[in-house]
Amino acid sequence: MPRLSTSLLLKAYQENTLLPLLLKECRSLDSARNELRWLRERALRDAQERSHFRQDQDQVTGTHIGWRTRLRAMCHRRSQGVPLQYLLGDQPFGDLEILCRRGVLIPRSDTESYTYEAARLVRQMALETKDNNSPTPSQPHKAKSLRILDLCTGTGCMALLLHALLASHFDRIQITGVDISPIALNLARRNLEHNIRLGGLDSRARVDVEFHRADVLRRNNNSSNGIDTSGNAIPTVEELLLSNLNLTTQSEIEHTETTTTLPKIDLLISNPPYISSTDFHNGTTARSVRLFEPKLALVPPIDIPATTDTAHSIGSKGDEGDNDKPEDIFYRRILELSLDVRARITVLECGDRMQAERVVGMVKGMNSSGSEGDNEGEGGGGGLKVEVWPDTEEDCLSNGFHVRDGSSVTIDHLTAAAASVGIGYMVTWLH
Amino acid sequence: MECEVEDSRSPFGGLYAYPAAADSGLSPVLLTRARLLATEHVKLSEKLAEAFDAKVAKRVGEIAPVTTVLKEWDSANESIIELKSLLEQPETDDELRSLAIEDLDSTREALPTISDRLKKALIPRHPFADLPCLVEIRPGAGGDEAGLFAFEMLRMYMSFCSRRGLRPTILKQDVEDGASEDRLSEGVIEIEADGAYDIMRTESGVHRVQRVPATETKGRTHTSAVSVMVLPSFPESGSGADNALNFEDPNSDYYIDPQEVRVEKMRASGAGGQHVNKTESAIRLTHIPTGTVVSMQDERSQHSNRRKAWQVLRAKIAEARQEAREQELVQLRRGAMGGVARMGRGDKIRTYNYGQSRCTDHRSGTTIHNLDGVLDGGDGLETVMESVRTWMADRDVETMVAEELLKEEKTKKK
Repeated sequence: MPRLSTSLLLKAYQENTLLPLLLKECRSLDSARNELRWLRERALRDAQERSHFRQDQDQVTGTHIGWRTRLRAMCHRRSQGVPLQYLLGDQPFGDLEILCRRGVLIPRSDTESYTYEAARLVRQMALETKDNNSPTPSQPHKAKSLRILDLCTGTGCMALLLHALLASHFDRIQITGVDISPIALNLARRNLEHNIRLGGLDSRARVDVEFHRADVLRRNNNSSNGIDTSGNAIPTVEELLLSNLNLTTQSEIEHTETTTTLPKIDLLISNPPYISSTDFHNGTTARSVRLFEPKLALVPPIDIPATTDTAHSIGSKGDEGDNDKPEDIFYRRILELSLDVRARITVLECGDRMQAERVVGMVKGMNSSGSEGDNEGEGGGGGLKVEVWPDTEEDCLSNGFHVRDGSSVTIDHLTAAAASVGIGYMVTWLH
Repeated sequence: MECEVEDSRSPFGGLYAYPAAADSGLSPVLLTRARLLATEHVKLSEKLAEAFDAKVAKRVGEIAPVTTVLKEWDSANESIIELKSLLEQPETDDELRSLAIEDLDSTREALPTISDRLKKALIPRHPFADLPCLVEIRPGAGGDEAGLFAFEMLRMYMSFCSRRGLRPTILKQDVEDGASEDRLSEGVIEIEADGAYDIMRTESGVHRVQRVPATETKGRTHTSAVSVMVLPSFPESGSGADNALNFEDPNSDYYIDPQEVRVEKMRASGAGGQHVNKTESAIRLTHIPTGTVVSMQDERSQHSNRRKAWQVLRAKIAEARQEAREQELVQLRRGAMGGVARMGRGDKIRTYNYGQSRCTDHRSGTTIHNLDGVLDGGDGLETVMESVRTWMADRDVETMVAEELLKEEKTKKK
């Protein structure tokens, strides 16, 4: 990181003695000023709340003593790299306020952008299927059910925002957030309650959204015997889905004849760990992220559990699976899952365009070889569409989500697309 | 409304039945206009009695006040004539005569107020009058001092709104690069109450301040300027789908094609996503055809910054389009008859003079000698604004008369 210029520091110091502290992380005066304002607002609010509390207790006139001290302390901690969201305790995400705490990844604005886009896709899909498959026009407008699976949910931000955006369009909506970290799951559940209290979420979210613990990477040891816990306390996603299915949905009578059939998922969305251990240490990953955010949520584990199972469970794809880069292991596993649950839309966040292209390659490979498998003759490769949503400045995604013209790149044009460093999001669309 | 239908007298015929505004100060042109509206009201009311139509009902509601006041005006004039004829008759006895004189005086006194009300009722409502508004404050000429005063004006409007129970929120508060916090480079207040645009619209224009700045060492008085723009704030989409102000309808006058807007996210180059945790959430929108730029960075969420930026952009463009339309009308009138004054936002509208502790509005000519009361956003400011409202209404009446005259001339030529 380049050294901050003395003149900039001096200018910041003259404006406010706390600004140079914030500049360390913010790097620009504008951004440091904003952070100082947010921190000050919080410090004042806390002080006021505390003084009210104190007055209620024993009539001690607790004035604003302390807020300056508190602000100073927060700025010092910020200069050490503690993320602003951990200091303030929350981060806006769409119209929701997502609580943040150490040990759980902070929601990013990129994630926010494509969550909106995913919600738009789901609404569009619901419209299209209604046009095609409903010969009876008398069918009520929103007699539709929707099932969403959010893997590696963290704070639960995507699951909750999707509920906020989609609940009014569907009669029944079932969103399952999955994470391996109990801290994250606790926080996600708190976020659910927190946003219902704030009014950002409808109270039906309490029933519609569930957060469960599962190990996304671990594959089912024995595919013939669904719920077979092999001594491990953390279930696999398949096990979770199956047990969840038996518990919650009576309406899915069509699936009751066989417990090993996984429920159909309409949208599978995930922001899995995708940073390579090189990128984690070589400066690509910001210091604040590296030091204070959980590595569990950022870097996939090196020792992949039960690699040998790959060949066992999905046959020919095993060879490719072994060649995957260690930072991509989540994608292969999630793509397999997306085939198994017959996800109609899969949205994955990737670290950069190269990674997105590798994931596209995986999809292509799996699609050509795996069509005879569990895909139940749903058209095989024909109905598959992969898009990479780039995150360039002129991207239409940032354009208030009004129109998407050509900004999404389909497989064929992928090589022609301008190479931009940034985040690429990927969709697979199973018809 | 129904009694109006039963009224057998043709309202238009009334024009010839009464001496047209001989002693009331109401121009015959305006009276003609009022009669026309009254006829329209009768017709529409009949239509409404047969079948309900939301548009017709709205129009009837709009012109109903004119009809009511016109009736009052008619009956007042009628009684004046009756009383006069009573006085002229020789057989009237003295007691009756004194009563009639008394009555005549009181009616004559009431007449100007009635005609004033009629004038006001005739003024077409501003298209944005019912909307909430945004107030944008920017320092003009005068350097640091202008920034300081802009900040004081922001506070003035904030407390003015709070006093009137309008609940203002600061949408944007950019401070200048400098030593202190209170030097505004741009501020936007949002006032969410319906009709706030109508209340605040007196404030658009250049405000001038004359004082010895805090930074001045030699005690000289400086003059600097702050420009204020009052913009309409459009309701969120979905509400009021049928009105002309629905900005999402491509046929609406205030529609903005998203293709014409360039969106820039302030994002550093390099890795994104999980690699970094940027708190920068600034958004900049550029409306390419007009070159209007709005940037927003106050909120922590990029999403709400974007929404606010769109709100301000929409407001700015709608105001500009409305302005252009008004300008066109003024040009037309000038071409036809010359010299109809109009105050644009480029004109100096008010002076705050600290040395003399006065605030003078150059449009209405009102001077308040309690500057602190004005700057606190209290009654002083209210008085000034009220005087401007009267001034604006008078101007509107003038332009309306001019327009009617223009129309009349045209019909005569034919």
